[in-house]
Amino acid sequence: MSEATPANRAALAKHFDKFLSGNLNKCITCHLPSDNKDPQSLEEFPHNPFGARLRAVGQDLSAAEKKNDVPERLALIATEDADADGVDNLTELLLGHLPGAAKDTPGENELAEAKKRRADFEKFLSGYRWQPFVTVKRPEIPKLRNSKWLRNPIDAFVATEHEARKLKPRPEAAKPILLRRVYLDLIGLSPTPQELRDFEKDKSTNAYEKVVGRLLADPRYGERWGRHWMDIWRYSDWAGYNAEVRDSKPHIWRWRDWIVDSLNEDKGYDKMLEEMLAADELYPESTNALRATGFLVRNYKMLSREQWLTDTIHHTAKAFLGVTMNCAKCHDHKFDPISQAEYYRFRAIFEPHYVRTDRVSGEHDTVKDGLVRVYDVDSNPPTYLFYRGDERSPNTNHVIPPGVPAALGHSLRIEPIKLPRYAAYPDKRDFAERQAIEASEKAIPVARDALEKIKSDKNVDAKKIAEAELKLALAEAERESLLLTVRAEHLVDEGKKESEEWRKVATEALIAQRKVAVLKTTQTLNEARGKEAEAQTKLAQKTKDAEEMEKAGKDANDVAVAKLSVEKASDDLKKAKTKTGEAEKTLADAEKAKAEPAETAYKPSSPEVYPEISTGRRAALARWLTDTQNPLTARVAMNHIWLRHFGQAIVPTTSDFGLNGRPPTHPQLLDWLAAEFLTQKWSIKAMHQLIVTSSTYRMASTFDKGNAKVDVENVYLWRTPSKRMEAEAVRDNLLFLGGNLDGKMGGPEIPAAQGLTSKRRSLYLRIAAEKEVEFLKIFDGPDPVECYARRPTVMPHQALALANSELALAESRLLAGELAKTAGENGTKFVNEAFMRVLARKPTRQELRESVNFLDDQTKWLLKKQTAASPKAEPTQDKSKSNGAEAKAPAPPAQRAKEDLILVLFNHNDFITVR
Amino acid sequence: MKNENRPSRCRGMTRRTFLADTGMGFTGLALGALLFKDGVARANEISSPNDLPSGFPHSRPKAKSVIWIFMIGGVSHIESFDVKPALNRYGGKSIQETPFADVLDPQRVNKIIAGKEMLERKVFSRLMPLQTGYQQYGNSGLVVSDWFKNIGQCADDIAVVRSLWTNDNDHGAQLTFHTGRHVRDGALPTIGSWVNYGLGSMNDNLPEFVVMGEPSAPCCGGTWVHGSGYLGPEYAGVRIEVDPKKPLAFINPSDPTMSREEQEKNFSLLGRLNRMAGIEYPDDKFLQARIKSYELAFQMQTAIPDTLDLEKENDSTKKLYGLDKEETKTFGRQCLVARRLVERGVRFVQLYHGGSSSAGAWDSHAEIKANHTKLAGQVDQPIAGLLRDLKQRGMLEDTLVVWGTEFGRTPGAEFSNDTVGTGRDHHPHGFCGWLAGAGIKGGVVHGATDELGFHAVENRHFVTDLHATVMHLMGLNSRKLEVPGFKRLDMDHGEPIKEILA
Repeated sequence: MSEATPANRAALAKHFDKFLSGNLNKCITCHLPSDNKDPQSLEEFPHNPFGARLRAVGQDLSAAEKKNDVPERLALIATEDADADGVDNLTELLLGHLPGAAKDTPGENELAEAKKRRADFEKFLSGYRWQPFVTVKRPEIPKLRNSKWLRNPIDAFVATEHEARKLKPRPEAAKPILLRRVYLDLIGLSPTPQELRDFEKDKSTNAYEKVVGRLLADPRYGERWGRHWMDIWRYSDWAGYNAEVRDSKPHIWRWRDWIVDSLNEDKGYDKMLEEMLAADELYPESTNALRATGFLVRNYKMLSREQWLTDTIHHTAKAFLGVTMNCAKCHDHKFDPISQAEYYRFRAIFEPHYVRTDRVSGEHDTVKDGLVRVYDVDSNPPTYLFYRGDERSPNTNHVIPPGVPAALGHSLRIEPIKLPRYAAYPDKRDFAERQAIEASEKAIPVARDALEKIKSDKNVDAKKIAEAELKLALAEAERESLLLTVRAEHLVDEGKKESEEWRKVATEALIAQRKVAVLKTTQTLNEARGKEAEAQTKLAQKTKDAEEMEKAGKDANDVAVAKLSVEKASDDLKKAKTKTGEAEKTLADAEKAKAEPAETAYKPSSPEVYPEISTGRRAALARWLTDTQNPLTARVAMNHIWLRHFGQAIVPTTSDFGLNGRPPTHPQLLDWLAAEFLTQKWSIKAMHQLIVTSSTYRMASTFDKGNAKVDVENVYLWRTPSKRMEAEAVRDNLLFLGGNLDGKMGGPEIPAAQGLTSKRRSLYLRIAAEKEVEFLKIFDGPDPVECYARRPTVMPHQALALANSELALAESRLLAGELAKTAGENGTKFVNEAFMRVLARKPTRQELRESVNFLDDQTKWLLKKQTAASPKAEPTQDKSKSNGAEAKAPAPPAQRAKEDLILVLFNHNDFITVR
Repeated sequence: MKNENRPSRCRGMTRRTFLADTGMGFTGLALGALLFKDGVARANEISSPNDLPSGFPHSRPKAKSVIWIFMIGGVSHIESFDVKPALNRYGGKSIQETPFADVLDPQRVNKIIAGKEMLERKVFSRLMPLQTGYQQYGNSGLVVSDWFKNIGQCADDIAVVRSLWTNDNDHGAQLTFHTGRHVRDGALPTIGSWVNYGLGSMNDNLPEFVVMGEPSAPCCGGTWVHGSGYLGPEYAGVRIEVDPKKPLAFINPSDPTMSREEQEKNFSLLGRLNRMAGIEYPDDKFLQARIKSYELAFQMQTAIPDTLDLEKENDSTKKLYGLDKEETKTFGRQCLVARRLVERGVRFVQLYHGGSSSAGAWDSHAEIKANHTKLAGQVDQPIAGLLRDLKQRGMLEDTLVVWGTEFGRTPGAEFSNDTVGTGRDHHPHGFCGWLAGAGIKGGVVHGATDELGFHAVENRHFVTDLHATVMHLMGLNSRKLEVPGFKRLDMDHGEPIKEILA
């Protein structure tokens, strides 16, 4: 398509890369100069001879059904001379001159360089071309001279870049550093001093590998990496306006628990994707797998189905494909090969889906608990292309079928799926039926008690008694009706439909249901009559008010306003009368029905009936995504995993692998990892294992002048990058070090207000727009709206939170108290243990001296202060200044000094930093 | 220039990235500048199109600081700075009965509204007379309603824009007023964060973008209204309470027995230990930044309460802002603190009035007379006091003051449940705001709505034109600040309102 000019331009830039000079990355490379600022067609912005040729050979290739991308087309016309200025197209392009304008031609000096330039470009072209939209080909593992450093193929790829730049990898990190690194990385908690001692004592060659194996088997691994994937998959608890749910849904925590469980059991990444996108189609009876569809539920938006679908489209593409579909909502993508029509094809995959909450055993009320999940509500809802992405301008002439961008290869194989009974009738499960009957039985004594209570009041209005009696009668009739209906349904299930027994029960069920209908409509009619009477009174009052005001000659404005009120009240009365009329008619109908001879056409017991067929569109998408031929799924996932091990991704733009994204630092490595991920049957744990046991991961993160001269930003990994602990890790480790961390896993989210008092791990705290824990936000906690990569910052807020929060202070005191028990008055012992515990390393001699001196000096200073203060001025007296916190008397000076030291270590850069 | 293999923003140690990663919302460039002075950050200057801004304006700025005053819920434009006497003439009639029936043309009414869910909002056409009086002020003869008599007296310093429009007829427009986008587009950079992002701070121990007052409720944008979207949290507004005892989270030790001296000793040990541990990491800028961040945090614990300590102001100043009166005290304090922040070099101060757990206090679907009388009574004197105070101190010359609200209110009376016909509904089709101070012509009215105050008909301005005006006066070119991967449309940038510039 020639109209996608910017895409062609981007393709040209991509093909020539650094060989394309800036003045050629312009429209006039292919077009004649024009004053038209916004040309709408090729006629308005014609090609120059070069552009015309490029287009023509494209058409030829396309007619021959050959690949016709810009590189293929260029190859065909490289040696032609479109503008007939005596210099061929390729040479002109490489030298920065327009191949389609004879006036612009290289000079003698430039032409002298041409041969070398062409050779360089040839070399560049024959090098590793990273093609993210083409299926991964497993790259050869490079052979290296210095093979001693290599532990696994990852190292070979990294070392190749080292050798090319004469970078020297840093030596292996010291054991304590390495142990803390891998602990925090894999389980999010630091090693205990005992674990460190054990590791240091273990001289076997696989001591480290043993630790890695143990950590990967630790359930806390699932919690740690669960939080990472929650970032990528945009986990969000529900948000709304008071009790009204507007974003995401209640009980979505089950999806969070599914993430943790799936990681711990090392479920394949392919299986995880399938379950998240289509468990309702692929595993419709597995309540475990259905939790996964929280990925889609999370996009629920009460206020706008349009936004709901838009988020679903954009973020499914970003999370799994690393492609930004956003642009294509309004126009063809300017950088990537995604047309606007393809955007809507992708949308059509999700068009039928909706969310629902199924009952869970033990709780009949789905507001209190339930399994929130997706299902296809519609078998074939039309998807239309919106002009300029505006939902108000759909092109209704053409229904868009579901599909995926063609440039990513293959297509969807969609087949409708017949769902089992549970999917269509969730309330027919035994427990749900039982609970429904229990609930209907419970309603009877409640209604009876209410009636007794009303009757016991001597002055009670007869109307009230009648109302309560009606309620009781209704409760009894409802139970009766439910029992009969359920019985009739059971008979159907047993294959006894149309049997005599069934006829009898079904008829009784219908009679009971009709009775319920009459009672219910009577209730409605009574209510409507009451409202009508109220409206009547109100109108009379308002009319009187207005008349009096007018008579009294009140301000004209006020009278006008009062008259408006009369109008409104009269309006309201009219509405109330209509309602009464409607209710009367409904009741008459119900009574008429009741009088008719009974048949067997009872209504089903549960209103929760869903389609028995699902479109299969999402299942097809999941299969397409997890097909080993899909070029992006494995690459994008491995890039995310790599980012979280190293703090820097291979493709820095984790959610944009397109032309507008940044190129990879190690393209072969990423491709190899992606290929290996498939070989390992999508096992995430296998990939962790591979990465953290590599020499690359085990290097020290220390400085080196020579390397820094070549690669100051450590792009080529001559050292393992230092990282900042994530927000959750900061909070979790404070609790952990104070011996206070509650290891309970899973369950409903904990209110954000308990962020500093709850002892649970941070991933269990509520996170939703506007409902986040302040402490976590300060440490760059995830934005629930979008967080494909964290952006660690250093802020004074963080200093204040670590130095002043009740969490940091309380935990420092607990730890100081515990360490003092063993260390006693021995300052050196205390400092050693404190460093081991908080920083997971021994202090240096200098640190030890400094810290011991601090303990002495601080103790003396506190003592002096204490004796100087008069007994009257106890700190507890000054409650007004304490912001409401109960001021406890400080510990005795020697202990207080120890607490101060622990607090200082909590604030130490080596605590929040992972070396 | 194409910079191959650029690392991600979060690890990228380009100069400004680093400054940003160290300075943050608190001090913006301040901390960065400190480090820069120390030579810490000088090592690796790399310029590429993806670099963060230099921190210097793109053109000669007229304004050094902005005080942005936002009324939450929707102030009646026709009863504030765009008074419509015609409503008294036609009060009680429906719009169809007036000569201006064409304002109800559904094409015109629906055209600007984003999202089809919004189109169903009923238009109330029974006109309600003005609920307050009005008069002319100053040499310019600006007409202002009696609810804003004090601001009226500053008429010759302000430029009123009477032709604003927005694209949401619900309170999500609060977010739109700050990001230029519909609330369903989510968190995006707000005008304050753009200023913060584009410019350096002028002080070493205060945040660059400060927010006071109860912000919008979650329904309407919440804290996104002073957020920074993709620019990153460091550019978001820092909310402080006017209470000097607890101006922001964790400002004081949660344990009151932790004295400042004791903390100083702790921090001093911390500094020594951090420096020792850093020997093997001489190039670790995060470490350097962390050391500085503790020094800064320590200073802020006194600098912020000091700024908030209004006891240092004399009585006549306090009176000017209405601190002596119950109704004006709260907002008066915010206005006075705003001046003190600007005095200390804070770039952008955002003041909220009317924040509540729902749509906002100004949202007067009923009883607008009582509502606006009360709320205007809370802000009129403090805002006028701020303008006078800035002027008498010569600060109005380089401080820009902007007053706004998410939309106006309908000329028609609203029926709503039991309270009938005494309120006005949301009105996005035409409403007003005003600017004063640095680079602004005083005593000017720009743009107009029709006779009923329904549509903006002359020199229409989408709300982002206010942003563009602010950016222009701050010497910033929003197009030069654009972040790769986050393409902004022309409408997002807006155009400066040239006619009101001095």
